[in-house]
Amino acid sequence: MSVMLTNTGFTQEAFDAFLAERSEPDWLADLRKNAWSRFDEMSLPTSRDEEWMRTDIRLFKLDKFSLAVESNEVELPRALLAEGVELGGRSVSVDRRSVECQLSEKWSNQGVLFGSLDAIVAEHGDQLRPYFERHLVDPHFDKFSALNAACWSGGSVLFVPKGVQIDEPLHSLSVMSDGGTDLGKTLVILEEGAEATLLAESASTTVDAGGLHCGSIELIVEKGARLRYVNLQNWGNGVWHFAHQMAHVAANANLQWTIGALGSRLAKVNQRVALIGQDAEAQVNGVMFTQGKQHLCYNTHQHHQAEFCQSDLLYKAALQDRSRTVWRGMIQVDEGAQRTNAYQRNDNLMLATTARADSIPGLEIEADDVRCTHGSTSGRVDDQQLFYAMTRGYTRQEAVRMIVSGFFQKVFDRITIESVREALGEAIGRRVRDI
Amino acid sequence: MLVEVDDQLIVLIHAAGHFYALDDVCTHDGGPLSDGPVDAAAATIACPRHGAKFDIKSGAAVTMPATKATIAHEVKVEGDKVFVKLCDS
Repeated sequence: MSVMLTNTGFTQEAFDAFLAERSEPDWLADLRKNAWSRFDEMSLPTSRDEEWMRTDIRLFKLDKFSLAVESNEVELPRALLAEGVELGGRSVSVDRRSVECQLSEKWSNQGVLFGSLDAIVAEHGDQLRPYFERHLVDPHFDKFSALNAACWSGGSVLFVPKGVQIDEPLHSLSVMSDGGTDLGKTLVILEEGAEATLLAESASTTVDAGGLHCGSIELIVEKGARLRYVNLQNWGNGVWHFAHQMAHVAANANLQWTIGALGSRLAKVNQRVALIGQDAEAQVNGVMFTQGKQHLCYNTHQHHQAEFCQSDLLYKAALQDRSRTVWRGMIQVDEGAQRTNAYQRNDNLMLATTARADSIPGLEIEADDVRCTHGSTSGRVDDQQLFYAMTRGYTRQEAVRMIVSGFFQKVFDRITIESVREALGEAIGRRVRDI
Repeated sequence: MLVEVDDQLIVLIHAAGHFYALDDVCTHDGGPLSDGPVDAAAATIACPRHGAKFDIKSGAAVTMPATKATIAHEVKVEGDKVFVKLCDS
């Protein structure tokens, strides 16, 4: 059945029309209804909530956005991560509609599923059902997680069967037009011994575009699997970005998760990694550059649930103008997670005296034989370094760019995918102004 | 009272017969000032979180833990209307 969605706002009527438009299995519709009832009950967070006390969303008006999907003809922005890369597959969505989806036959013949989550769940719902029901992202966590669980659409999925090793990166691009609403959900499942690299990026149609992104990412890395996941957030300057992201890394599995955060007006992201099996490893890399009045808030959580696991998080941010970043990191070690090796670090480079960075690392350890460390630095560009570079013939702006590039080098060195290093380096270089 | 001016939150204060407008930001931890008490005699507003006080005329920080001024905006009253001109610095 096809129903035109003409309602605006997130009303019961709009939700009913949204559900009616989708031909999904009953179990999925029930999950959505359950999440919707929680969404309906909950209020938006306020600065009185501990987690939100440094992120002010009083200017955010949820009723300005809509569940309705509009069919806009837009010019696609440049996909930064895919330039010069031989891809094994590509998926593009615009305003929650899938517009392109390709996967090399070499991989589809081996049972790999990749593309629009809407389309793949309609065809392979029973196969994906157990992963949905694991609820990696808790739909009851806050109003935003409930909204995404109830109304996700237009997201992407990657399913790699046991033992299949994809040696070409896959790329997904999510595009939103000015004033749009993006409720994408990303689901990545690597079965035992599988390997894959997924480059995901989100972008607006114009630099100054507004909109709402309320998304979720769920990464399931089963025993002995290896996932490299890159997520570049490059929305327009007016976008409100709310996201819940969660990874489960099983025994002997390995996750390298790289985040680039460049766009949006305000971002509040909960990024969580749970190491649930022995000898699991996770490396988390974060690259942030803020300008104007941008406010990016990242809450990271490394949860060690099993013995002999290793997690290593490095977030680096450079801030100019009146922008602000907030990073709250937590390493949580359960009682049984002996011989844990966990590290978290956040470095901030202040390019203006009017910018502000809040850095709040934390440890919560219940085991008694662990190595858990954390660190944080915030500092300005050293005038002597600038002067030295200028005596060697660089202009002041070139010198600043070089110093900013050097600041990020340590995190770039950890990113093993060349196109990602180049894309992030180029995007940041373009943004750096004189100081 | 809290008002929105050009997509920005401003705390508008009426004290001792004058209007004043400040950014709704405590420069100590970035929390909102608008819920804090105003002392008209001392011409200050206090942040409800940690008690930092700001001069309502200039935005200057007058007590710890705040050390930097919050932004004060220009206010003009014409008849029964109050106009706020945002200061960008």
